[in-house]
Amino acid sequence: MTNTVTEESMVTPSQPLAYTYAAGIAIVAFLVGAGIAALVASNLAMTLLTQAVITGLLATGVGFLIRQNGMVSFGHAAFYGIACYAIALAMRHGIVRAELAIVLALVVPTAIAFFLGLVIVRIPGVAFSMLTLAVGQAFYEFAMKARNVTGGEDGFSVKLPSTIFGIKTAIFQNPHTMFVVSWGVFVVIVLFLTMVATSPFGRLTAAIRENEERSRFIGYETVLPRVLVLTLSALVTAVAGVLFTLYNTFVSPDVLHWSLSGSALIMAIIGGPRLIWGPGFGAIIYFFAKDIAGDISEHWQAIIGLILIIVMVLLPTGLGGTLAGLLRRRVGYG
Amino acid sequence: MFIQILNGLAYGGLLYIVSVGLVLIFGLRRIVNFAHGSLFMIGAYVGFSVAAIGSFWGAILIAAVVLGLVGALLDISIFRPLQREDPIVTVLVTFGLLLVLEDFAQFVWGKDFLRMPVPAMFAGSVSIFGDSFPAYRLVVIATAALVGLGLTLWLHLSKIGLYVRASNADPLTTAMQGVDTDRVSIIVVALGAALAGLSGTISAPLLALSPSMGGYILIESFIVVVVGGLGSFAGAFIAAIVIGQVHNFGLVYVPWAATMFPFVLMVAVLIWRPTGIAGSHV
Repeated sequence: MTNTVTEESMVTPSQPLAYTYAAGIAIVAFLVGAGIAALVASNLAMTLLTQAVITGLLATGVGFLIRQNGMVSFGHAAFYGIACYAIALAMRHGIVRAELAIVLALVVPTAIAFFLGLVIVRIPGVAFSMLTLAVGQAFYEFAMKARNVTGGEDGFSVKLPSTIFGIKTAIFQNPHTMFVVSWGVFVVIVLFLTMVATSPFGRLTAAIRENEERSRFIGYETVLPRVLVLTLSALVTAVAGVLFTLYNTFVSPDVLHWSLSGSALIMAIIGGPRLIWGPGFGAIIYFFAKDIAGDISEHWQAIIGLILIIVMVLLPTGLGGTLAGLLRRRVGYG
Repeated sequence: MFIQILNGLAYGGLLYIVSVGLVLIFGLRRIVNFAHGSLFMIGAYVGFSVAAIGSFWGAILIAAVVLGLVGALLDISIFRPLQREDPIVTVLVTFGLLLVLEDFAQFVWGKDFLRMPVPAMFAGSVSIFGDSFPAYRLVVIATAALVGLGLTLWLHLSKIGLYVRASNADPLTTAMQGVDTDRVSIIVVALGAALAGLSGTISAPLLALSPSMGGYILIESFIVVVVGGLGSFAGAFIAAIVIGQVHNFGLVYVPWAATMFPFVLMVAVLIWRPTGIAGSHV
């Protein structure tokens, strides 16, 4: 996973042109999403899609960390769940307005990721994965035990005001409209991450991922850029947590559990973390496969485990990467 | 007070038997088996089923043998074909295996919690300095001590033990000296898995059995291995004993925060020494 040359180092059109190109694709993608929301009448399908996009954003955070740092996190549910609890607790105690609560829900997990990152990104490879699993689960244990703060295992529902940022809250709770909101956020974030990845900072982190020692020899500080990638990926994850809370208006320790981190990681791997949109794509496959498989057999979990094993062994670039590769060969480019 | 130390020792001893399997496999193959907790879980269930129809000792033996075979299979079918890949590939594949095994346990033994009774011969308690202490926990402590001793002797006196220690220090040089890692590995992985199965059965009377117990014990043993320093037997031993005590004293004196203590200890150790207590290499 670490010793691969990523696409952007091979294809280098002039930067502004590439940005216009990417922005164009983003606008088209957003319009397609809005069209889907307008055309699909089924509430069930839209609920699935909305869940998929929100969880896909969580997976995008996990995937971006793999892509830029080569680090596989088993603990991103922590940042997601902290964002959920930040809004929920702020609203429950009426400390701040909903708008400020959302800002806090983005800032707190991002700051935690930064300070935690200063310690944990120094630990390389597989040990990092083990560590994130343990650290992530610590937050879950805390939410379970601190009953008087979090309500423990039962969780609690979140009371939101009727409008947030001037938008009717009902819009966030209807799967059709919430899909458009989440999809819009997803597209903007993928565009933003693409710009980060192609920026000098993105190239530096890719260089550090490929060979940290050599990057240090050229004279770069290598710890801080990796911490910043982790911080950014936590921020993306926190955005997913905010969307989830607005949509679901309920939090419980499940949002912090390591199995959520694991699912997000599976989505990222299935979709292909080398592509910035890959994990989101993986999330959509994951949710629909789960829905279909759930109808046929009870053994959904074993099926997804087998899919993960097969993708890991046979399709190291993920389904998204494989598709993109086929497409590129068809058009005869790259 | 002394009773509490013994309680901590029983828990620490169990953690040690599980974690040492991870250390063995990491030392030789430089990979981490994310399905290790699931092997523990399957071991507990196998032990549960055998003990229901046979003896407790038979349950331990059969669980260890069955899981040892599973370990050998794991080495041949997953670790060996993936040994040239990035270690993270093995992590993700074994994570997939974790999901499959959890589902398998749920299929065979059901979702509900199962309880395995304490074997009749150890059901009572013994008096230690005037306090009574469950006899079964003494058995757990004794087993952990025996496993620790046996493993240390094996590592230092047998040829394979020598290879494992050499490979742990420097896998490349060890391979250049003509040690066939594959042949050693099947024994070592089988042993690590058998220890997971054995500890699963031994802890079954102390815990509630559920398919998700594997995830819990996996995280606990990761804390032990990371605190001790990946690949270090002595480090894992010290870390398991310390975490056993911390966990238990936490439960007695600050029950609401007890589950947090091992995590706090881990982060503190990592700030102090990023490669763990005994770790010189990761």
